[in-house]
Amino acid sequence: MNGEIAFWILSAIAVLGALVAVRKRNLIHGVFALLVFFAGLSGLFLLLLAEFIAAVQVLVYIGAVGVLLLFAIMLTERVAGDDGRRMTSRGWSWGLVVAVAVFVVLLLPAILQLPSPEVAQEINPSVEELGKKLMNPYVVTLEVLALLLTAALIGAVTAAQGVRMPKEEDLPE
Amino acid sequence: MTLHHYLILAAVLFCVGLMGAFTRRNAIVVLFSVEIMLNAANLNFIAFWRYSENPELLHGPMFTLFAIAVAAAEVAVGLALVIAVYRHFKTVDLESMNTLREE
Repeated sequence: MNGEIAFWILSAIAVLGALVAVRKRNLIHGVFALLVFFAGLSGLFLLLLAEFIAAVQVLVYIGAVGVLLLFAIMLTERVAGDDGRRMTSRGWSWGLVVAVAVFVVLLLPAILQLPSPEVAQEINPSVEELGKKLMNPYVVTLEVLALLLTAALIGAVTAAQGVRMPKEEDLPE
Repeated sequence: MTLHHYLILAAVLFCVGLMGAFTRRNAIVVLFSVEIMLNAANLNFIAFWRYSENPELLHGPMFTLFAIAVAAAEVAVGLALVIAVYRHFKTVDLESMNTLREE
């Protein structure tokens, strides 16, 4: 019963946060709504007994991604958004139609056709177990992921730094 | 709570993200719409794991961990690209980046 109430509250927080984040003109407000969405989702993870994932969600998304988005906004656009300009793209109504159609035509029937299994057993994975799994069957994935993160780090720095164009006099004849 | 509740919630969140990615013209908003979609997918992983036959294998949380790491790499590179594009075009409006379009 308590879990049910928590589920409805958390899903309302998540959906409202996502909607506000997507619709807000002021980008900073949008990012804060996005952080509310991440927090709601982390609560849902807790409800599903994935405690470590909930902690990671808070650390990575609310901590890192939120700050990164804020910095990117401050480095680029006027923060409050330009009132004179349209917020939505050309043909935005088609985007809306496609999004609703994906939900009603594709996702909802597929979900309703699934059998609804019961929770098999109450299992509460400890961080120790997750760490052991990470070392035993998933070690290759972990290494590849480390490589990916390094590559992304170098790529992000290179892309944000910009390419320095050679000056005219530096060019060979 | 049944599995269906979580799956429908994740589908709703995914479609909100899809709507944002399709209808907004600011590149940063499109980027965080993509983040919303990725998070909806993570919720699906965890829900399926919770209601699976043998959750002690921990496939769901492991996959979610890797997905979160990849999403973090994606957002870092994406924002770096947005900054690079802003330096070139002096805007992050997706509709004014039409250099390749035939007039």
